[in-house]
Amino acid sequence: MIDKRSVLGIDVGGTFTDFVAYDFRTNAIKTWKEPSTPEDPVEGIVAGLKRNGDCDAIANVRIGTTVATNALLERKGATIAYVTTKGFRDVPFIQRGNRRAHYDMSWVKPKPLVRRRHCFELAERIDAYGAVVIPLDEVQVRAVAAAIRAVAEIEAVAVCLLFSYLNPTHELRVRDILAGELPGKALSISYDVLPKWKEYERASTTIADAYLKPVVGRRLKAMRGRLDETGLTAPAVIIRSNGGEMTLEAASEAPVQMVLSGPTGGVIASRFVADELGIDNLVTIDMGGTSTDVSTVIGRKESFTTAFEIEWGVPIQVPMIDIRSIGAGGGSIAWIDKGGMLRVGPQSAGARPGPACYGRGGTEPTVTDANLVLGRINPDNFLGGRMQLDVEAARRAVAKLAAVIETSLEDTALAMVRIVDNNMIGALRSVLIERGLDPRDFTLCAFGGATPLHASALMREMGIPRAVVPIHPAQFSAYGFIMTNPRVDRQRTTQLISTRFDVERANTVMDELVGQCVAELAAQGYTHDIEVHRALEMRYLGQNYELELPLAIERFEPGATEKLWALFHDTHKARFGFSTPGEIIEIVNYSVTAMARTARPALTEFGRGEGEPKPKAQRPVSFLGGPRSVPVFTRADLLAGQIVRGPALVEEEASVTVLDAGYRLTVHPCGHLLIDVEG
Amino acid sequence: MRFSENGFYIEKYLKCANCGMLVYGKGLAKERGGRAALYCSDWCVEWARLRAANSGHFSLPIVQPKLPIEARHRPAGPRMSPPDMVMMNILDSTLVSICREMGILLMKTSYSTIFNEGLDFTCALADTKGDMIACAEFCPTMIGGMPLLIKTCAQEIPFDSLEEGDVILHNDPYRGGLHCPEHTFFKPIFVEGELIGLAVCIGHIAEIGGMVPGAFCGEATEIFHEGLRVPPVKIKKAGRDVEEVWKLLLANCRTPRQNYGDLRAMIGCVDLGASRVADIVHKYGKAVFRQTCEDLMDYAERRMRAELAAFPDGKYSFSDIVENDGIERKPYTVAIDLYVQGDEIVADYDRSSPQAKGPINATLGVATGAVYNGLLHITDPSIPKNSGAFRPIRVVSPPGRVTNVDFPGPLVAGNTETHPRLANITIGAMGACVPERVMASESCTGTNFVFGGNHPDYDEYFACYDIMSGGWGGRYGHDGNDCVIAINGNCRFNPTEVFETRFPFRVEDCELVQDSGGAGQWRGGLGYRRTLLATSVAITGSQCSDRHEVRPWSIFGGEPGGNGATLIQKAGANEWKTVRELYGKVSSSKYANITLDPGDRVRLVTPGGGGYGDPSARAPAAVAEDVQEGYVSAQAAAKSYAYPRRE
Repeated sequence: MIDKRSVLGIDVGGTFTDFVAYDFRTNAIKTWKEPSTPEDPVEGIVAGLKRNGDCDAIANVRIGTTVATNALLERKGATIAYVTTKGFRDVPFIQRGNRRAHYDMSWVKPKPLVRRRHCFELAERIDAYGAVVIPLDEVQVRAVAAAIRAVAEIEAVAVCLLFSYLNPTHELRVRDILAGELPGKALSISYDVLPKWKEYERASTTIADAYLKPVVGRRLKAMRGRLDETGLTAPAVIIRSNGGEMTLEAASEAPVQMVLSGPTGGVIASRFVADELGIDNLVTIDMGGTSTDVSTVIGRKESFTTAFEIEWGVPIQVPMIDIRSIGAGGGSIAWIDKGGMLRVGPQSAGARPGPACYGRGGTEPTVTDANLVLGRINPDNFLGGRMQLDVEAARRAVAKLAAVIETSLEDTALAMVRIVDNNMIGALRSVLIERGLDPRDFTLCAFGGATPLHASALMREMGIPRAVVPIHPAQFSAYGFIMTNPRVDRQRTTQLISTRFDVERANTVMDELVGQCVAELAAQGYTHDIEVHRALEMRYLGQNYELELPLAIERFEPGATEKLWALFHDTHKARFGFSTPGEIIEIVNYSVTAMARTARPALTEFGRGEGEPKPKAQRPVSFLGGPRSVPVFTRADLLAGQIVRGPALVEEEASVTVLDAGYRLTVHPCGHLLIDVEG
Repeated sequence: MRFSENGFYIEKYLKCANCGMLVYGKGLAKERGGRAALYCSDWCVEWARLRAANSGHFSLPIVQPKLPIEARHRPAGPRMSPPDMVMMNILDSTLVSICREMGILLMKTSYSTIFNEGLDFTCALADTKGDMIACAEFCPTMIGGMPLLIKTCAQEIPFDSLEEGDVILHNDPYRGGLHCPEHTFFKPIFVEGELIGLAVCIGHIAEIGGMVPGAFCGEATEIFHEGLRVPPVKIKKAGRDVEEVWKLLLANCRTPRQNYGDLRAMIGCVDLGASRVADIVHKYGKAVFRQTCEDLMDYAERRMRAELAAFPDGKYSFSDIVENDGIERKPYTVAIDLYVQGDEIVADYDRSSPQAKGPINATLGVATGAVYNGLLHITDPSIPKNSGAFRPIRVVSPPGRVTNVDFPGPLVAGNTETHPRLANITIGAMGACVPERVMASESCTGTNFVFGGNHPDYDEYFACYDIMSGGWGGRYGHDGNDCVIAINGNCRFNPTEVFETRFPFRVEDCELVQDSGGAGQWRGGLGYRRTLLATSVAITGSQCSDRHEVRPWSIFGGEPGGNGATLIQKAGANEWKTVRELYGKVSSSKYANITLDPGDRVRLVTPGGGGYGDPSARAPAAVAEDVQEGYVSAQAAAKSYAYPRRE
């Protein structure tokens, strides 16, 4: 019997593949990186395993992969057929009739992932009450199957019939017939994928699922083979967009669930940090080279969205962790527009040529160059000293701008940093203030290489009182993977109104959803420690957007619904500033989340220290009020309980934390750096 | 403007004979063609003289009209310091974010589908002289009209009389408004007792009484047929509902429960905007806020001037035909002359037809907004949308025309049908100036089918404003997009599953119209059709559309786009007939109150877009792909593109 004692998280990113191994016997964590191999991502995984992994010791491996994401973005999925109700094959082409942005005449409306010549119609109809108006003609279904069979390149079929979320009998029958007639072709049925109203959004999601199935299935199968060859025979799971995990088989059957696999890790890890620190609300920010991702953890739960789009206007509405991305990163380029205004991004110098200071031929001033000019980045300690930065090149690049706006070099660099900070503030506003959340109730969780440089400025501008720079900030996503749980989210539309609330029907829908979720977990081998959460999405009758209310009850009882309606009025008032007591309430969607609780890592405590640590150096850094000589600390030297007072810098291998005057940093027993306002 | 002595009503709407702007003071009385004419300013007197004397290009540096409230406004003292670019970045993005947040609240809490699915509203912030300092991208028609709306309102309710917690409501189309359904809410923003600005929201309330459910009365001959007109009134005073106003509003519509929800949502929206701005002003200080808002408008002005300066000087003209006004079977011309002079543009509608009897007339707010809209499409989309951007643009729209309606002329379709025509001819005119930036005509119609009746499931009246989209015109380098809302809005249409859940219609199809895109090197986009079956109750329908007879124009040798249509099939009948044939109406695109009994069907077809460039220059592979995908039939391809072409 081989000693299986560790969990391995692997995050396949654009530049690096990150590995985090957690030994659950000793609580030790090991992290490493391997260059990514975009042409064949498994190559990078295998290389990392060979270099550092003790394959025999691994009990299970959790992988964040961009297989599905890339197939969608690059439009390299399968050729598929689409089957729908007669008269409606153009729904994916017509879409919703609006435009991406006003005043942009160059916009080209996206085409769906299916060709129009591969769309087929069935004379059948269910009405808005769920009643059959035109019965399904099975002969016609077989004829459509024959037509699909005649097109050799079609590998999968998406089926979306009108009102199937109310009455799925036609769709389920079509599924059975097609399965018999088209062996070997993948099927995606809208009732299985997304049983919610609005036919375009449901169709688009179902089409994406079918489009991905053949490709993802092959890729995952090949990956399993390569892992086995490498000697990693432990069960592997894929991280899904809802932050849960699913087996390779389950992922192949529902690939639309893994379009946002990798980036969820940072949010899961943040939630873990929130638990560990006893913080309820976190706003997470991950600034990389070209983009910044922002998300929230509220009441120690990740925030979810069903508004994901492959590109503007092409939605995938399965629930996933709500991560907003903007084009602001260390490589973002500063420029002067036609009105003489200084702007930063969204153009980025990327990894090649990269910022001017990388010395790879870049001459445009980037945020990283500005931080170097300001003295915030140490040119001799970039990536732990493995890369020497060219300060003069950075100064030359920034000086070009300074000449145009007739300001000093330092003031120009400061303005660049403040403008990119403002761009990130915009993203933070969109997940907090624009949703009615108060930044004062939040802690900023700053991970990713470039974020800690900006953390205290973001706190100040956004009015966020506390921040945390967690451990392993540069491998934070892979670190999150070792903490995931198997998780299934299911939703269904069944409209009822408060004045005629059908308790029995509501209970039936809820029970069915719970049954489906639990069965899906059981199919992946999880039958113990299952947690089930129920929620209702409701609105005033006439409104079109719902508020989600978590339910504390397992069953609806006649006569106990008044409390539910009162809770809705209160929630509406809290979210939107007003309520309409006495108004009819419409219950629209039912949602259920089932999670299998698995063991979580325990962290080792740091050695304790006392008082203020000794800086390793002192160097001049420019701030808003002018240059100051500030102490520089090395993160690895800090001990639990020690306190650093701003202005100061804390350097580590892949990052620098800038602590402004008036801010205080405290080292947590597990190594996280906690920042708050002094006094 | 002549107000009654008691101040309760307007005796006469006075307008400048040249630019059409409301004249509040004495104005300038001048002789014109042997008759006394009123002008707002010397600039307009001179412009009218130059136009009469020149048929070609001339120029006259712009002087923008000023209402008395603006003239009274004291300019800010000497500026404190040079413009702070960081502060400008921060304030611009924050104010736009506030407007977006206001819009999201409105979308999520309103009741009418035209709000929450259609997003037919806009949210903005204004300063105390009525200039717009920021807005979010929702419905752009309203953006052009906003400064005029606020300023005319300020003329009647002096801003120094406002109290904290007041909310003003206003929809009068003759006082800066767009059409009666468009309701504007203003909330003054106070910081430490001082008025600092206004939170504004304009939204389309679907049902406001009048001759037809849903306001779009295709046979209106007076404003009174189009629903309730509301002068600037306070719907809330010092934070309390003015119950009398609420009761008057809700007594004059067919769907009071729905309207109540929409009105509450709009108030929630300006409440939110006002409190967010107050927070920002507390954070940065009043002086910094005011100065930065001025700097942002100056910046937008510089950006716009830089764009306009790049256009060659000259007079650029274009016109289009509106097929009829719903009252008489005769066409109307909308025409524009753009005078590009250095870094400024004067847009003159003088050649447009006299005011129509039917509802196709545009208000000054609509005509002004349409020019802004057209020009914003051919300039850099990243210019901040504030009043500064519009300073180098002067719109001249003489009164009594289809492009500047006089009281009490009808106008409900002016905002939805005539606006896109005006914006499109603005773009078309610039074709001679910057051919690679323009587009052939889009569908230019929202189709605007409105209906109402007694709901079989809920014991209440229902009304719906249903919007559809048509094809974009071809443009340099790209075909027109299929089925995108006309240029005046950015509305989504109702999904069938939402539509049937709300209204007793069954949608039988929803399909692209083959061959509706005008042929061209880059062809027009396609329109689509929907067939609606009345299922269980009688439904009253009305429509204000166009392009059933006049096709969307092409450019540079393309072919025009396909027509729209409205066809009816009575229960039990086989044939489809037009509304004219079946109901004896003057027009099939504009009519009022036809009855659809259970079993009747209405088929709504939207126009395609015009083509750009000679069809023979179209890539053969693109033609073949169109035929294989069914966008173009083999017959049409043979005719327009000589398909299949041998290489």
